[in-house]
Amino acid sequence: MSAQVLLFGALNGIGIGMIYFILSVGLTMIFGLMQFVNFAHGAFYMVSAYAAFAIAQWTGSVLPAFLISPLLAAAFALVSERVLLQRTYSLPHEAQILITFALAILAQESVTMIFGTSGKNVPVPDLFSGVVVLGGFVYPSYRLFVVAVAAAVAVLMWIAIERTRFGAMVRAAAENAEMVGLLGFDSRKVFMAAFAFGGGLAGLAGALAAPLRGVEPLMGREALAIAFVVVILGGLGSFSGALLAALLIGITQSLMSMIWPGGAHLMIYGVMTLILAFRPTGLMGRS
Amino acid sequence: MMPNEALRFPNGTTIAIAAILVTMPWILPSLTLACEIVVVSTGALSCTLLLGSVGLLSFGQGLYFGLGAYVCATLIRDFGMTALPATITAVVAGGLLAAIAGLLIVRRQGVYFVMLTLAFAQMGFFLALAFPKLTGGENGFGNVPRTTVAFGQLPLSHPIVLYALLALLCFVAFALVQRIIASPFGTVLNSIRQNESRSEALGYDVRRFKLAAVTIAGGLAALAGAMNTLMLSFVPLSAVDVETSERLLIAALIGGVGSPLGALVGASVLSAMSDFLSPIWPRWSTIVAVLLIVTVLFLRDGLLGLGRLLGGAVRSER
Repeated sequence: MSAQVLLFGALNGIGIGMIYFILSVGLTMIFGLMQFVNFAHGAFYMVSAYAAFAIAQWTGSVLPAFLISPLLAAAFALVSERVLLQRTYSLPHEAQILITFALAILAQESVTMIFGTSGKNVPVPDLFSGVVVLGGFVYPSYRLFVVAVAAAVAVLMWIAIERTRFGAMVRAAAENAEMVGLLGFDSRKVFMAAFAFGGGLAGLAGALAAPLRGVEPLMGREALAIAFVVVILGGLGSFSGALLAALLIGITQSLMSMIWPGGAHLMIYGVMTLILAFRPTGLMGRS
Repeated sequence: MMPNEALRFPNGTTIAIAAILVTMPWILPSLTLACEIVVVSTGALSCTLLLGSVGLLSFGQGLYFGLGAYVCATLIRDFGMTALPATITAVVAGGLLAAIAGLLIVRRQGVYFVMLTLAFAQMGFFLALAFPKLTGGENGFGNVPRTTVAFGQLPLSHPIVLYALLALLCFVAFALVQRIIASPFGTVLNSIRQNESRSEALGYDVRRFKLAAVTIAGGLAALAGAMNTLMLSFVPLSAVDVETSERLLIAALIGGVGSPLGALVGASVLSAMSDFLSPIWPRWSTIVAVLLIVTVLFLRDGLLGLGRLLGGAVRSER
């Protein structure tokens, strides 16, 4: 395999990894903030991807979806939090898992009712349908766009988490939620904001991924499993851990798909198993 | 629940399970449905054991179900084994895989445990997909001949023989789980469920007990998978997908994990719904999801608990 092909694969992997990062960061944040495990997180991703498909159908371009779909996913997350999930905050983890799991089934069945069981293609926006040539190296411009958007989001998020009041609260709550409550912050509003934010990010991941992989009802399930691998390896509540783990499995998947396409997804879990065998508490090493 | 009753074996539940298994072929509209219920309840039982006794939520029993199904199918088709030895080997294989995966899984607690079970189940699915020579890939593992129970006796091509074998295996599984719950080992599992750190403080090696429970549950799920192969003479790829894991878990939850009988009740309700509703309304899982929400929010002991509650109300009215 030539160096160029390897570079191509690694770049693709960074793109996939960045999408995985945006997908997982909401899950890890919601857990860090309120010890809540959200099995409906993949559903936010799927619903947004389908919204992107619908928008591309109506308007002829998927571009507006990159703004609208995440907002829709955020609204969906917010409504589910208000109507259903907030009732489970006082229940054990198992109950929260099962309720959000049921919510994910409801979302999947609803989407199937509207769009059918078969997968659909989402066209790459015309603006990014070409290729970029960098000194003899040809790369699809949409993938470059994905990496750029994801990197921008990651930077913005880092600023939001490290430099803003809300971020300070999220970090503080991840350390000690009770104390933050005692300091007089309205935990209800923080939770709502976290759900909307996390859902919106999962939605952005879904919209960005839609032109790359198409949409199908089971994509939410798959995304949830991937997000789990990211937080298992990166540690729940850790942003840098999520970024590292997401890039690692993105690059693994991309490189493997050139060597052994049938085993590309398998290797995500293979890498997870291998790391867990030597580092039982994941990459960041805290339990 | 009645702890003293659960600590005896055999008890009233044992008799109820035997009675249900014997009468099902006569009550239900088809023997196929009865076979399906028996297979799903055996698989759901592995979730009931994990959640009801140790408090472990597994989204990954489909991994062992799938392994059991493939091992049984391979042994019958390619090695000419009969049903019983193939099934027993499948159970051992399922237990072994669960012990190996369990070594990695039980090191993490709480939500990490749940996420890991799901991740490993997903890995099993992609394994089956990546090695189509062994599993048949998306086309499934076909041409499994209808063998005999053992030693060339009792052909499974006879529907009643097939049901009798499946029901017997199912009964053995239920009796085993009841026996485990009633044993000192089961008491320790129960104490881990109620308070993990206290059990640890009492000197029990919690991880080893969890690993043992995960191993047994893996064997049970593999048994269900092998039974599924005997029933269908075929292993669809869906036998090893996450949906199978979810179905087994949902059956256990809807029935109620407080008693092994719950697995049978939940599996019956779920299989009957699937049988009657899926031709009318393919999106019937919507109802299952609502039922699951209602169960978790309002019926902690599942339908079995609801039945007891109603039974108690009727009794007190008299």
